[in-house]
Order: sequence, then C-alpha cells, then structure tokens
Amino acid sequence: MDNFLALMDGFAVATQPIYLLYALGGVLLGTAVGVLPGIGPAMSLALLMPITYSLEPTAAIIVFAGIYYGGMYGGSTTSILLNTPGESASIVTALEGNKMAKAGRGASALATAAIGSFVAGTIATVLLSFLAPVVAVFAVQIGPVEYVALMIVAFLTVGALLGSSMLRGLASLGLGLFIALMGVDALTAQQRYTFGSPFLADGIDVVLVAVALFAVGEALYVASRLRHGPIKVIPVTGGWTKWMRKEDWKRSWKPWLRGTFIGFPIGTIPAGGADVATFVSYASERKLARGENKLQFGKGAIEGVAGPESANNAAAAGVLVPLLTLGIPTTATAAMMLVAFQRYQIQPGPLLFETNGALVWALIASLYVGNLMLLVLNLPLVGIWVKILQIPRAYLYSGILVFAALGAFSVNFTPIDVIILLIIGVFGFFMRRYGYPIAPMVVGLILGPIFENQLRRSLAISQGDPIALISSPVAATIYVALIVIFALSFWLRRRQRQFESTDIDSTPSGPANDEVKA
Amino acid sequence: MSTSTEAVAGSATAAPGKRIGELIFALLILSIGIVGFVAGAGIQTPPSASDIGPRAFPFVVSGGLVLLGVCLVVQVLRGATGAAEEGEDVDPNVKTDWLTFAKLCGFVLLHAFLIVPLGWPVAAALLFFGAAWSLGARPWWRNLGIAVVLALILQFSFAELLGVSLPPGFLERFGVFGG
Repeated sequence: MDNFLALMDGFAVATQPIYLLYALGGVLLGTAVGVLPGIGPAMSLALLMPITYSLEPTAAIIVFAGIYYGGMYGGSTTSILLNTPGESASIVTALEGNKMAKAGRGASALATAAIGSFVAGTIATVLLSFLAPVVAVFAVQIGPVEYVALMIVAFLTVGALLGSSMLRGLASLGLGLFIALMGVDALTAQQRYTFGSPFLADGIDVVLVAVALFAVGEALYVASRLRHGPIKVIPVTGGWTKWMRKEDWKRSWKPWLRGTFIGFPIGTIPAGGADVATFVSYASERKLARGENKLQFGKGAIEGVAGPESANNAAAAGVLVPLLTLGIPTTATAAMMLVAFQRYQIQPGPLLFETNGALVWALIASLYVGNLMLLVLNLPLVGIWVKILQIPRAYLYSGILVFAALGAFSVNFTPIDVIILLIIGVFGFFMRRYGYPIAPMVVGLILGPIFENQLRRSLAISQGDPIALISSPVAATIYVALIVIFALSFWLRRRQRQFESTDIDSTPSGPANDEVKA
Repeated sequence: MSTSTEAVAGSATAAPGKRIGELIFALLILSIGIVGFVAGAGIQTPPSASDIGPRAFPFVVSGGLVLLGVCLVVQVLRGATGAAEEGEDVDPNVKTDWLTFAKLCGFVLLHAFLIVPLGWPVAAALLFFGAAWSLGARPWWRNLGIAVVLALILQFSFAELLGVSLPPGFLERFGVFGG
C-alpha cells in the first residue's frame, strides 16, 4: 500500500504543469527521433546529455523517459509508411505493416500500432509499478557475488546473443570494457591505460564515446552509402476516427494483450531487449491465426502489427525493472538512461527506491502520463510525423553532426574532445561496416566500472578465492539460468532460420525479412 | 540495426577490398588486446592492496580481446565476413562513397579547430554548411541560411537558456548568446 501512496505522490509531481510540459517535450522529441531514420532513442539521449548540466534531476529524467517511450511509438510509423526497413525493434512490424500500407490499409496499421502500444505500455507500466519495488526489496539482500553473476548474464546476452555474429558482439563488448578501464583506478588511484597522456588520466567521458559511436558513426556510415532520390512515403487517407474498422478491433485486441505479456517478462530479465520480444510475438501470432487470417500473413495481417508493436512497448517498460532496481541496463537506450542518473550522482540499484523514492515514482508516474500523450500524438496528429519523415537526408545527417559536435564540446569545453569524437566516430563507422554491433560496446563501457568494483569486492571478501563466485546458491542459480537462456536462444535461432527459409517467397524484397534478431 | 544473416552468409557478396579492411579491423582488435596486455603489466599494484588489485581486470579484458581478435582474424581469413549494418537511408546497392566520408571528417576536424578562434556559432554553421554540401544538398544559399539559423538557435538555447558555456565569438556583443 505504501507503494501505491508513493505512486500517487509521484503523480502529484508529474502532473504539475511544468513537468507535464517537460513530459510533452520529451514524448514529442522521442516520437520525432523514433520516426526519423538514423536516429534512435539511444542516440538522442546521448545527444541531449548536455541538458543535465542545467535541468534539475526530476525534469531531466522526465524528459528522458518521454524520449524513451516516444521512440518506441515513432518507430512503427516509419516501418509502416516508409518503403525501407526501420529500426531493429520495429522491423517485424514492417513485415506486415508495410504490406498493409501498400494495400491501402496503412491507416489501420498505424492505428493498431498506436493503440496497441498504448494498451501494452499502460499495462506494462502498471506491472512495473508493482514489480519494481518487490524486486528492489529482494535486490537489497544480494551481495557482490550475485551482482557479478547478474552482470555476467547481462554482458553475455547483450554481447553474444543479440547480434548476428557472437564473436563480433563479444569483441564490441570487450572494446567497451577496455575504454572504461582508461583513467585512474577508483580503488587504488593507479593510472591505467593512460599512456602518460594527461587527457586520458580522467578517462574518456562516457557521453563522448556514446555520441561518437551513435551519432558520428551513424552519420558517416549512412553518408558513405546514402540512398539518393525521392523519399517514398506511402500516403494515408481518411479521418483518424475511421481508421479502425470493427473487424480490426476484433482481430487486434487479443494480439495486444498477448504481446504485452510476451514483451514485459522478456524485457525484465537482464537478458533481453525489445527485439527478441517482437519476434516471439510475431511468431506466436502467426501460429495462432486461423483460416482466412492466417493466409494474410506475409501479405498484410493486422495481427502481425498489433502483437509485435505491443510486445515492443511492453518490453521497453520491462527493461526499466532491472535498470531501476539492479542498476543493470540491457539495451543501449537503458544504458544512456543510467548515464543520465549518474550525471546527478544517483546510482540506480536496490537502494534507489529508498534514497531517491520521490524521483523514481515521479518517473514512473510520468510514464503513465507520457503514454496517454503519445496515444494522442500518434493518432490524430500522425500527419505531422509523416511530414518529418520527408526531411531531406542531407540536412538530417548534417544536423546530427552539429548536435554531436555540440555534445562533445560541452563535455569539458575543449576542442580536443571534438577531435576524440571524430576518431571514435570513425571507429564506429568501421564497426558498422564490418558488422560489429554498437550496443554491447556502450553497455560494456557503462557497466564495466560497476562490474569491476563488484568483482573486486567479491574477491576481497573471499580473500581471492574464485570459487566463491559460483558457490553462492543464488549466483549458481543465475549461472544455470544463463545456460538455459543460451540453449533457448540457439533453439529460437534455429526456429527463426527455418521460419525465414519457408517464408522467403512471401516476405518483401530487401532486407526486411532477415532483420529480426533473436 | 544489424542483421541476423549469419556471418558466413555475407562472404559471397563482399568485395575484396572490404575483406582486407575487415581483416585490418580484426587485427586492430587483436593489437588493442596485445597493447592492453603489455600496458597492463605496467600498472602499479600498491603493496597495501587487499583485493586482486588494479591489474587483474585489465588482464581479463585484454586477454579476451586477444582471444577474440585471433578468432576474428581466422574467421575473416576463412572467408566469413560480417554483415554490414542496414538502415532506412542506407542503399545496399551502391559502392562506398569514400569522398563524402572524407569530406565529412574534414569538416568535423575544421570545426574543432575553429571553435576557439571564431566562436561556436560560426564553427557550427560552417560544419552544417559543409556537411550539407558534401551530402549533396543544393542550392548553396539555402544550405547557408539553414546553417546560420540552426547555429543561432542552438547557441541561444544551449548557451543562454541552458547555461552551457559555448564561446559566442563575435556574437558576444549582442548579449543574448551566453558566454
């Protein structure tokens, strides 16, 4: 009951006019960057990190939460209306949604995506409100050994499972951990990997690396192979109230709920991200469809939009559970949220609900509010986002470079950081070019110092005996779970490959069909 | 953001130049690991350290990088290249445009050197103008107009409203652009 009261207090804060305005700004920006190709929520959080210098924590966290949720909505618009595949989390939506739009049913696809996102987002936020405090109570009792186990799970799943190539994912993770080591060791004050340079003595700022990898790397990569010519957006016609026919409602509501309950748990385990959830939801909708509806799969089945879009949003809420209660981010966007907290000297983790209860509950309350705003923004106002889709790409990527340079310069107000930005950005370009995922590097960079700290505490307690790392029952259980997750993922991958090979004729040309990550 | 096409599957289409580049990148990861190992040995461990000390984790990380680097080099040599990232604005059918890549890098570098002498807004407007031109936006006067307006808006909102101290350059005399 205490938590309920705390949530009400959170609402009291989040519904103050000024915070409503911040939330609105956040969701507007989030939807815009979700819609725009090339910019994801992780990049925009990295680019907006300078606002933490002047905004108070509650305002900044509410803005960031709005971007986080907004990005999830915006992505679906892109993948439904744009003739090319979109971000990873909403790729599955493109499978059916794009087909629907081409068949003149784009409005229904947009509507089922937006309403499904709202339903799933709201239910998942309720689940988050009840689950997070419970997990926090449990998390207070676990020691460094168990933390090490949980973080190893997060590292290995983000690094090895989420990308297409396990070696490349792990290498990316290793590079992140390596950069995180640069600077002065927190425990012994020894310089590590500074190579005698005073610039490296403080380490390379996390925000600088993130902006370089996300923004500069992406801009350079897209620029090197830019798609020229007109931007083909499929037009949407008719008033938004008529978008969902009675039959659409009937076919959508079950996938919405199923997507929610598939997405949320997958998001909560420190091993997921939204991509797995959308794929599982799509596969199950396809399996559950009967008769006429089943035949529509691959040609524009509404269930194939409703389910994955809901799963995607529910997973995004689920990811906040390990982030807020354990301090473990499992997606690049969550990692940037963690950085935002750290900018205010707040460390998400078991004690967060005690030490910064008011802030966390205001954040959760703002998620409810933001969801409602997003429903309005994405149904009647979808026309605005369609216009944003048509921004000339030359201006879009030039703007991204300017913002990146701004973010880099404002870290320490020295132009040298802009040069470091360029160097790491070029590195990010080659990572994309050669198929190395970016997210593991960012997660490694941010989680690395916390991991080392817990590892050294564990071994200090056990006086250097490494067996202690696996002998605790909780830690042992976590490692067993890790093995199960890996086994499950290999099974899923095989299923997916079969599913893709049987599906080759009915899926759109281009890379949309092999874009699903498992 | 990335693809699930197995690394092996990408080999058929990869250009020979790209394979060499990929090999160099894998070797770079390997050498970062080796440097990490050598430099790790140079980290001082204070005798008072009660735990595993500041050296152990760097060794684990660089050891991992060496191992992964070797595996990646072997994989690339055996013809299994990575699947390049895809995106809405990425045309999978065009060749890499190195000239645009170089121009963009050049303008970012130029920007870094101009911030102090000319102030942030001028340096930023030049970066936008140059980048838009490199990416093929025409006519130049429209690019310039957008560049100037964007730089002024950013300078005003970040320096004046949010208090981020961007050097205003010659705009200092107008007083509303922070400093």
